[in-house]
Amino acid sequence: MTSYLDAIVPSRSEHLWRYTPWSRVHPGNVDTVPEVDSAIVNSEDLKLNTVAFESLSTTDIARIFLNEIMHETIVVSCDDGEGHVHIHAGGHAVATHLHLSCSTASNIVIHLHGEPDWFGLALTGDINANARLSVGIINELSSDSVMVRVDDWNVHRDASFELATLSMGGHRNKSDIRSTLLGTNASLKQFIAVHGHGTRHDDHHIEIHHQQPHTNSHLLLNAVCDDRSHSIGTGSLTIDDIAQHTDAGQVFRNLLLSPSSRAEAIPELEVLANEVAASHGAASAPINQEQLHYLMSRGLSKDEATSMIVEGFLVDSFTDLDSDHVREAMQTRLTVHLECQLIG
Amino acid sequence: MTQDAQDAVGDYKYGFHDPEDATIRFDKGLSEQVVRDISELKGEPEWMTDIRVKAYHHFMEREMPTWGNCDSLAGINFDNVTYFLRSSDKTEKDWDDVPDDIKRTFDRLGIPEAEQKWLGGVTAQYESEAVYHSIREDLEEQGVLFLDMDSGLKEHPEIIKKYFGTVVPHTDNKFSALNTAVWSGGSFIYVPKGVHVEMPVQAYFRINAKNMGQFERTLIIADEGSSIHYVEGCTAPTYSTDSLHSAVVELIAMEGAKIRYSTIQNWSANVYNLVTKRGVAHKNATVEWVDGNIGSKLTMKYPAVLLKGEGAHAEVISVAYAGEGQHQDAGAKVHHLAPNTTSNILSKSISKNGGRSSYRGMLQVTPKASGCRSKVVCDALMLDEDSRSDTYPTMEIGNSTADLEHEASVSKVSGDQLFYLMSRGHTEEEAMGMIVNGFFEPFTRELPMEYAVELNRLLELEMEGSIG
Repeated sequence: MTSYLDAIVPSRSEHLWRYTPWSRVHPGNVDTVPEVDSAIVNSEDLKLNTVAFESLSTTDIARIFLNEIMHETIVVSCDDGEGHVHIHAGGHAVATHLHLSCSTASNIVIHLHGEPDWFGLALTGDINANARLSVGIINELSSDSVMVRVDDWNVHRDASFELATLSMGGHRNKSDIRSTLLGTNASLKQFIAVHGHGTRHDDHHIEIHHQQPHTNSHLLLNAVCDDRSHSIGTGSLTIDDIAQHTDAGQVFRNLLLSPSSRAEAIPELEVLANEVAASHGAASAPINQEQLHYLMSRGLSKDEATSMIVEGFLVDSFTDLDSDHVREAMQTRLTVHLECQLIG
Repeated sequence: MTQDAQDAVGDYKYGFHDPEDATIRFDKGLSEQVVRDISELKGEPEWMTDIRVKAYHHFMEREMPTWGNCDSLAGINFDNVTYFLRSSDKTEKDWDDVPDDIKRTFDRLGIPEAEQKWLGGVTAQYESEAVYHSIREDLEEQGVLFLDMDSGLKEHPEIIKKYFGTVVPHTDNKFSALNTAVWSGGSFIYVPKGVHVEMPVQAYFRINAKNMGQFERTLIIADEGSSIHYVEGCTAPTYSTDSLHSAVVELIAMEGAKIRYSTIQNWSANVYNLVTKRGVAHKNATVEWVDGNIGSKLTMKYPAVLLKGEGAHAEVISVAYAGEGQHQDAGAKVHHLAPNTTSNILSKSISKNGGRSSYRGMLQVTPKASGCRSKVVCDALMLDEDSRSDTYPTMEIGNSTADLEHEASVSKVSGDQLFYLMSRGHTEEEAMGMIVNGFFEPFTRELPMEYAVELNRLLELEMEGSIG
């Protein structure tokens, strides 16, 4: 296994690190491997088992780094229906590896709280044959935190997997979310809502790899950028030559609210099979003045009207979630967050 | 053509070659001396020699691109390329004076016929330099300059010095450095204020020799309120060893001007086509790239527009056809640098017999560029299971008032469409050909009719034997 100090720090010419270089999300000097504490993980309704750390696949610098600093893996029992997992991070540098293995049906919401300077999160999971798993992740870290998140999900034959992310916390986030559709009829739905405010920098890289026929995937990323925030969405969708009859789609949408906000969208597509329906779309626009005018003509202030449009735009990210448990949790938390923003 | 030659050429209509009968041929390989020798041979001013030498050093220092089809790029042996080859001692103005063997080539390509019928001017480049050049008298009287680049540098050095390398500097990329170091031939056009060149002008580029490198340099300047349509075509013989074509094209559209640059790239399948094309559009100006890529082994070409002035507009229509052993890595780049600028990009590609087509695009809106609008549409058609299609779009938005859309889809030929056409008496092959022609229709309708007809014929040729 490659050691971190032997690994080459990727240059910005690499697609994955173009907008958020590794040096900006490392907890210190890139030539060092600091001591890292484990976060506190608890759940009232799900069984958690702590085991020796199970290594991540080491294909990139972030995973190589996390492999060296992590001590343990927390296995979340996913065959117990619904529940919430809370991860509390605090101190200088904290890291957690959560592994989910689902063989029946489960709906889980993972909350990230705390005020760490740096937080490393690894999420891995197997959605086994015929299983159905819905996972929601709510990032509520403090506005000073830097987060590196890596995900590796395997979706097996006839399994369906939903992964929703609500990103509204942290100062600088780099998320590298990879899913592989390993068996026929595997299905993946991924939804991401980003609320950029202040000087938040939020970079989501999403890789979806169709390795078998009759698989389908759907990705929607909605980002709102206010103040001086910066949202980046890069997608990499690969359909192997044997993955015929695949249906895959990616949509990246950005709503820019302030002249100093920025957004990047790079939805890439590599298709090696011909019996497929593959598409992607990206759009970026300012707030619709007609919508604003309509709401203001009904007595709302400009801020209230804007907040309402933002809420509608972001809440829509989760509308297609099949799991009521996850959808309601995500939408409720989002609404509360936007109301707090409006009052604050 | 002998039967052996015909077998080697296969379906590629322009794969014939003439005996290599060069008057001057440099040894293969590149060195500072080769660069200086090219410049000296052409009797260039010192400032141009200096630019060439600087570019040569930059080329040597610069790494090969780490993106794109690196495996294919690694196959280029820069030491096995002939960087300069002169086939004719001078550029002729009368077709009858062109050496017979070269004339025969262009006769077969239909250039003189096209010139008589519908062109405002013609340049024919054979290997490194132009062998024939003409422009309609009425255009000349209006002050339109249409010269091959070497003559342009001799006759109008002040204009060339002012604009050369301002749109594509030699430091832009490795291949623009190579072109700047060893450029030869290409077109130089200046359209004076308010002059509209109604008929297209055409340049035709032909590589004939083995392991030849063609490095033409084109500079088109449309002064305020003027317009021009430039058409280029290109072919090469089919050899077993590779040739290299690395051009640089710079377009400058001044306030209110319009430049349309149409290309039908039909190199043989042993040519690396690594081209940098970029235009600048000033206030209310329009730059349009109409770009068809049918041939070559590997094409890496992303026509770009810098929208520098308020109200400027960019239009890129690009089609690519990737057959066996081909990789068409094409796309478009538009940089919105000024307010209220607009752009449209339409890219269509077809992959067949294991060919690979890629769209690589960049759409950038800088913080100062408020009120911009852009739409990008990429459609890819896969004709069999061995082929591949990629899309690599990038959108960088630095202004909240920008309204941008990008959409892409990859699909196969619809069974319903095939069935409909076949139920009306067409064979499957004919039906497939019609669907492909229809797929490319938004592109062909932008071409002069003669080119559109030729393109349809080429596609039909490529489609032959595609069924079963």
